Amino acid sequence: MRADETALRDLMIGGLDGNAADHAALLRQLVPLLRGFYRRRARGGEDDIEDLVQETLIAVHTRRATYDRDRAFTAWLFAIARYKMVDHFRRVRRLQPIDGLEAVLVAEGFEDAADARMDVEDLLETLPAKQARMIRATRIDGLSVAEAAAADGIGESDVKVSVHRGLKALMARIQGGGR
Amino acid sequence: MNTDDLIAQLARDVPPVRRHAVGWRLAMGLALGALVSVAYVVLAMGVRRDLGIAMHGFAFWMKWAYTISLAVAALIVTAQLARPDSGRLRWLWVVAIPVALLAAVGGFELMRTPQTSWFAMWLGDSWQVCPWRVLALAMPIFVGLLWSFRRLAPTRLRAAGAAAGLAAGAFAATAYCLHCPEVSAIFVLTWYSLGILLAASVGALLGPRLLRW
Repeated sequence: MRADETALRDLMIGGLDGNAADHAALLRQLVPLLRGFYRRRARGGEDDIEDLVQETLIAVHTRRATYDRDRAFTAWLFAIARYKMVDHFRRVRRLQPIDGLEAVLVAEGFEDAADARMDVEDLLETLPAKQARMIRATRIDGLSVAEAAAADGIGESDVKVSVHRGLKALMARIQGGGR
Repeated sequence: MNTDDLIAQLARDVPPVRRHAVGWRLAMGLALGALVSVAYVVLAMGVRRDLGIAMHGFAFWMKWAYTISLAVAALIVTAQLARPDSGRLRWLWVVAIPVALLAAVGGFELMRTPQTSWFAMWLGDSWQVCPWRVLALAMPIFVGLLWSFRRLAPTRLRAAGAAAGLAAGAFAATAYCLHCPEVSAIFVLTWYSLGILLAASVGALLGPRLLRW
């Protein structure tokens, strides 16, 4: 499902050589790619998604000197896209960031494996009830940590720990099963 | 703004980019900062009077070999962290080589010196000021590197900050060698390294705040 790496890379290198038409074509082709990327990962309104897409396009443009022509273009692009997503949520604070969690979630390979195999409910069934409940509350129903804690009558740190442990267990399962 | 309009606007400004643009950008920031630090050493601290003689001796080149190789290794790591897809860090272990070599020299030095003068050799005449001066001289260089990073794209901000701080500290120590008359390897290993580590810590502390983009 990846857009054609070679074609994008050629356009990128054309842009780096100063060809404005190539650069414009590249940015246009990135739009659907980035929209798909963010829709799959971010639970935001369309406005949020479009903000993220635009921020990422600007970053691709202003930081284009950091692309190494000898390396994969899509890896570079999605590294920027992930950074922008993490940064965006940190600013907006719609998701309560748990220290280091984003880094764990964006670890190489997790997303691809997850996209292919994720059947959320089935996976959550395999976790202890509390962890599953907390993940559902904070990650799917969109409650804040404080709200989830109040709803369940437990402490906020308890919620965070449960979510963290649960996600870690899920990740281990998905990655382990994917190999 | 409409996304199509944004693209049209961005595509109006597409200057060509050199192949080693990241390296150049870092080198420029580094040079600007180093200029300030070297000027401070020369004008305010004063170059050591016996520099001409010292440059024929072992101790001076031992110090420079240590600080310069450390600086280059740190800069290589910084350049890797300046790209978003930095992946696994290669060459990180290179940083350990200068330290290990200097420690070996220090070992020889201790063997050839009577135990009663070890302490004096270790503290030298300036152990109380040396780390702080290295740290202070690192700051202009660190600022120069921060300027470089404004066009770069680090995604691991704390690591990038630490690497930039380490590079700044090691280059600062290189400049400080022009002033500092200490000759002992264990002095350099302790007090220079402490100043360099302080600079790296400042970088790690400030990285997440200052390197965001």
